Amino acid sequence: MRRLLDALYDGAAWLAALFMVGLLAMVLLAIVSRLLHFHVPGTDAYAGYLMAASGFLALAHTLKRGEHIRVTLLLSRLQGGARRGIEVWALAAATALAALFAFYSVRLAWQSRQFNDISTGNDATPLWIPQLGMAIGTSILLIAFIDELVLELRGQRSHEVPDEATRNE
Amino acid sequence: MTPGRPKSLAPPRGAGAKRLGGCMSDLAITALLIVSLFLILGSGVWIGLTLSGVAWIGMQLFSSRPAGDAMAVTIWGSASSWTLTALPLFVWMGEILFRTRLSQDMFRGLAPWMQALPGRLLHVNVAGCTLFAAVSGSSAATCATIGKMSLPELARRGYPDGISIGSLAGAGTLGLLIPPSIIMIVYGVSAEVSIAQLFIAGVLPGLMLALLFSGYLVVWALMNPSKVPPRDAPMSFGAKLRESRHLIPVMLLIAAVLGSIYGGIATATEAAALGVVGSLIISAAQGSLNWQTFKESLLGGTRLYCMIALILSGAAFLTLAMGYIGLPRHLAEWIATLGLSPFGLLAVLMLFYIVLGCFLDGISMVVLTMGVILPTVQKAGIDPLWFGIFVVLVVEMAQITPPVGFNLFVLQGMTKREIGWIARVTFPFFLLMVAAVGLIYFVPEIVTWLPAQMRR
Repeated sequence: MRRLLDALYDGAAWLAALFMVGLLAMVLLAIVSRLLHFHVPGTDAYAGYLMAASGFLALAHTLKRGEHIRVTLLLSRLQGGARRGIEVWALAAATALAALFAFYSVRLAWQSRQFNDISTGNDATPLWIPQLGMAIGTSILLIAFIDELVLELRGQRSHEVPDEATRNE
Repeated sequence: MTPGRPKSLAPPRGAGAKRLGGCMSDLAITALLIVSLFLILGSGVWIGLTLSGVAWIGMQLFSSRPAGDAMAVTIWGSASSWTLTALPLFVWMGEILFRTRLSQDMFRGLAPWMQALPGRLLHVNVAGCTLFAAVSGSSAATCATIGKMSLPELARRGYPDGISIGSLAGAGTLGLLIPPSIIMIVYGVSAEVSIAQLFIAGVLPGLMLALLFSGYLVVWALMNPSKVPPRDAPMSFGAKLRESRHLIPVMLLIAAVLGSIYGGIATATEAAALGVVGSLIISAAQGSLNWQTFKESLLGGTRLYCMIALILSGAAFLTLAMGYIGLPRHLAEWIATLGLSPFGLLAVLMLFYIVLGCFLDGISMVVLTMGVILPTVQKAGIDPLWFGIFVVLVVEMAQITPPVGFNLFVLQGMTKREIGWIARVTFPFFLLMVAAVGLIYFVPEIVTWLPAQMRR
């Protein structure tokens, strides 16, 4: 089970990284096409879709690496039972919110498919296809939060803070 | 539906008051929401999720529109918006450069020229951060990249820790002000100001701040001559020039990224893509590009972007919900009745951001407050472009105020010193930033002149 879950998070992260490379390629294509005067319709919209897919698919992996930020002012000052209590509360609240996020993301993609929503840009993409990334990414995030909550309740969750998290912004 | 910002979803004026009736209960519920926002944030729930959670509750209370569907549509619109695509690319570029030998090269290229100045190699911190800021969008990354090289070199030569660490923490914040800048992209998207214009507007204030920092180091050195170690062995002018060849790669990268934006040949996103390619080329030319570093920078950049994206998603939905609550409008009307001068308003906002910066990181601060504060600012007749630079400067200050200041965290990790001590040695630089805010207030052309040249 553990290995299956980790493979799920890592697989999604690799897919996210692939979409990041795709985003770069799409923007470069837009530059080249302008320089060489040929027209590729919808590069802007595709770049947006690729960015969205990359961001959503990496959610769970980023959570597992402890790189999503939260205010730890209080947590870092607590010890033992009080700390555990707050951790369980934070994880439970986050799990509920992630469930909300995942449910409505899946619903959005589903409805776009039902009503045949098409992008009004010149890419004319059926919107459910790019929205699939959001639906899948948020669902995996929900799984990751449940996973973390269970680990915390069993006392198996590690509380290490990675160095990388401090390099943001 | 276009992938643009979901502006069309903006609620009609006064839509919120209907369901609950009475202005008092509106105010009470708004206050309750703000208190619960800070309680949930304080208890360690992830910031992005907290924002969308509070927005969801607010919408349930204030509007008859289904909150969940509005959330999904709004978040989808903001997460796939083309204006934002510059952000992940600049983040990735920073991750690539962090894994190159660029900081060593910059130290070698800059150090010979700084020997003659009072304060000598301390100026490498300022000049190095200024240069690196022009290829990096983040102040913590600027601080980490330059400090990795300059702190050990300065300590080896006997410079006092206090001034070398303080000047690095201060100058590191230039990463936000000198373009490219992640926080400017975030501001530009929230405030609907051209990112390219914001970038160019940041150049002169950034250089001015760098001069202020260097000027302070000169004064400090003249007042404490005994604390400045002797200069290194003198070098001939030709030797200095030869050492400067190490600066060529970073100069070329700056020219490609900023030059293409200023010249109007590339959008911010396209400049970012050029920057990623340029960074990969530099990395390859130095021999530091291999599968391992490429993989680390790509995954690191993806995670960093993902972290920011989660906050932006929550904030996009919160901004929509606040529109239903009518908070921005109420606030703007209330502040208008106070009869504050623009100066008074800005002074209050500066204090507000510095206090907020004690608890939140810069991006969360900007996205959380922009939806509420911008209407007030526009009503007061303040140019949103100028206000963007003001916000960036104030957020920079927040980066070096404890207990939450990312530059302080970075330096704490690098030096193993206590955060209170680092904040103390950084304090003079904090005051210099306050002075810089005063300067751009009294001489707004420092901000607006360069972008106006670009428009022609």
